[in-house]
Amino acid sequence: MRTPTSPPRRSNLPPLRVLLLLPTSTYRTTAFVEAARRLGAQLTVASERPSTFEAAQPDGLLTLDFQHPERAADAARRFATEHPIAGVVAVDDDTAVAQAAIAVALGLSGNPVAAARAARDKHQQRMLMSAAGVAVPQFSLQAIAADPRTLAATTRYPCVLKPLRLSASRGVIRANDSAEFVAAHSRLSRILTAPEFAGCGEWAEKFLVEDFVPGPEVALEGLLVSGRLHVLALFDKPDPLDGPFFEETIYVTPSRLPDAAQAAIAACAQEATRALGLVHGPIHAELRWNDKGAWLIELAARPIGGRCSAALRFTAGERGRGKGDVSLEEIVIRHALGMELPALERETDAAGVMMIPVPGAGVLRDVQGIDAAKRVSLIESVEITAHRGQELVPLPEGARYPGFIFARGDSPSVVETALRAAHAKLRFDVESPAT
Amino acid sequence: MDPQSITITAEPLNVERCKFVVGVPVYNGGLRRFTAPHEAHGSPLAEALFAIPGAEVQEIIVSGNLVTVVKASTLPWQVLGKQIGAAIREALAGPVPAIAAKAEVAAGDVDDDTLYERVSRLFDEEVNPMVARHGGRVELIDVQDAVVMLRMAGGCQGCGMADVTLRQGIEGMLGQRVPEVKGIMDITDHTAGENPYFAASKK
Repeated sequence: MRTPTSPPRRSNLPPLRVLLLLPTSTYRTTAFVEAARRLGAQLTVASERPSTFEAAQPDGLLTLDFQHPERAADAARRFATEHPIAGVVAVDDDTAVAQAAIAVALGLSGNPVAAARAARDKHQQRMLMSAAGVAVPQFSLQAIAADPRTLAATTRYPCVLKPLRLSASRGVIRANDSAEFVAAHSRLSRILTAPEFAGCGEWAEKFLVEDFVPGPEVALEGLLVSGRLHVLALFDKPDPLDGPFFEETIYVTPSRLPDAAQAAIAACAQEATRALGLVHGPIHAELRWNDKGAWLIELAARPIGGRCSAALRFTAGERGRGKGDVSLEEIVIRHALGMELPALERETDAAGVMMIPVPGAGVLRDVQGIDAAKRVSLIESVEITAHRGQELVPLPEGARYPGFIFARGDSPSVVETALRAAHAKLRFDVESPAT
Repeated sequence: MDPQSITITAEPLNVERCKFVVGVPVYNGGLRRFTAPHEAHGSPLAEALFAIPGAEVQEIIVSGNLVTVVKASTLPWQVLGKQIGAAIREALAGPVPAIAAKAEVAAGDVDDDTLYERVSRLFDEEVNPMVARHGGRVELIDVQDAVVMLRMAGGCQGCGMADVTLRQGIEGMLGQRVPEVKGIMDITDHTAGENPYFAASKK
C-alpha cells in the first residue's frame, strides 16, 4: 500500500497546535492527550463544560458549545487569533459537526459541515446513501408520537426501530411482528422522552423503521485522505447481532471474511463516504455481509468509540514494518495537522477487544476475578471503567460499558477465545434495583 | 539470601508502565530515576533492565521496594515481567548495591526538598482550590529527582477528564510556576474512584 502523505508544512518553527474537541463524557481522553504529547504537538483541549483550570491555563483549555457548531466556530476563531491552530480533531459524534464548522472558520482541512451533519443523522445518511445507490436497508422516518399500532400494521417484518442519533446501539430494537413493534415503540419512546433528551430537538421526536438485514456484521475503521478511504482495520463481530437488542461485545481484527467480501465492504464504505460528502479524517462504519453483498448499516465521521482503539496499533513505516507502535490517535492527529503519515498498515498480530456486556441492571458493588482474567494467555489488559456505586443499565436504555478486555495473538480465533475466557473469569456483584 | 526466595509482584499500570513490588528493599536512598542507559552506569539493576532485548525500556524509577519500568515495546508485561523479575533478583544478589546512591546536589541546582516545598505550596494555594470545585483533591506524594509524584482523589479519581486536569492543568501550572520540575507521575488508582466528576459514556 502506498503511504499517503501531506506536504511538509513546518521546519524549525514552534510545534503545531491541535485543538482537540473532547466532550466530558468521552472514554478517549487519555489516548488522545497522550498521542498529542508523543507527537510533540501543542495541545488545546476544548470541552462543553469548563475545566476548573481554564482561567489559569487559557492557551491549553477552552470551553465550546458543541451543540451549536457555529457558536463553537466563532469561539475557536477568537481563540485562534492569539493561539494559532493548525488542526482540529473530533473524537465522537457530538463533536464531529463542530469540528467541521471550526475547520471551515479557520481555513483548516476538514469535512464540509453539511457532510458532517449528514453523518450525524441516521435518516439523512440513509437518504443520501440510498439516492447514491449505496446498499442500505429499506427505511422510513416516523414520528415517535404516531400511533404505534397504525405503524405496526403497515410495517414489513422483521424490522428494526432506531433513533436518529444515539450511539452504540442505544435504543435500537428489532421487532418480528406487530406486537413486538408496539412493545419496541413503547420502549424507544420512553428513551427519547426521558429528561436526557427532552428538548434536544427534532431528532428526538422521530425514529427510523428499517428492514432487518441478516448476516454477519463488521466494523470498518478508516481514514479519509483527500476523499480516498484508507481502511485501517476491519473488525469481525463474532457474536451474532440478531436482536432484539444489538449489544456490541467482541471486535476482532483482521476479519476472517473472504478477501472478496472484505474488498466489497471497503468499496461500499468508500461509496457511502462519497454519498455523504465526507473527504477528511477518521470514519467508523458498521456494515453487514450476506449473499446480496455488503450493506452499509451506519457510518460516523469519527474514530472508533469507547476504549476500543487500544486494540489497534500501526506500523511506523519501513523501519518498523510489522511491528505496531503507532496509535490510531496519533494517525488522526498527524492527519489533522498535515504532518507526514506513517504507513497506514496495522501490525501483523491479530487483536481484539471485548466491550464487557452489562451484567444486569442495578448498582455495581464489586468486580471480582480481574487478576484471573488478566492472567489468561494473550490478554493484554482488563480495564474496568465502571466505578463502584455506579448504576449499570443494560441495552437498549444503557449508555456505558462496565469495562473493556484487550487481547493480541497470532490469529483472530485465538484472540476471540482469549477474550471469552477472560470474560468468564469476571464476576460482577450488582445490587438489583428495589422492586 | 537466596535470590529465588525474593517475592516480586507485577502490577501493570498500563501497557507502557508496570510497577514491580519487591519483597525486600531495592534502594533505600529515596528515589532514583533513570531515563537513559547512560544514566544507569554503576547501578547494575538499571543497567540490566535497559539491556533486556526487545523491551525498549524508556524509564526506570526505583524507590524503597518499588521498581517502576516504563517501556516503548509492544511486548506484553506477562512476557517481559519474567525477565524483569530475573534481573531484579540477580542484581540484588550481586556484590554491589543494585542501585548506586545518587550524586550530591551540585551548587546552584534545586534540590528535591526545596521543590517539594514549592510544589506543595502551589497545590495547597492554587491547584486544590481549583479541583475542589469539582469535588476533587490532588495529593503531593513526593518529589524525587525533580519528578512530582501525585495522587488524585475525590471527584478527580476515575474522572473521564483526569488526564486533562493533569496534563493541561497541573502540568501547565508547574511548568510556569516551578519550571525546575522535570515531570509528573500520577500514581492514582483511577479504577477505584467511586465518585468521578465526569463519567464516560459509550461513544
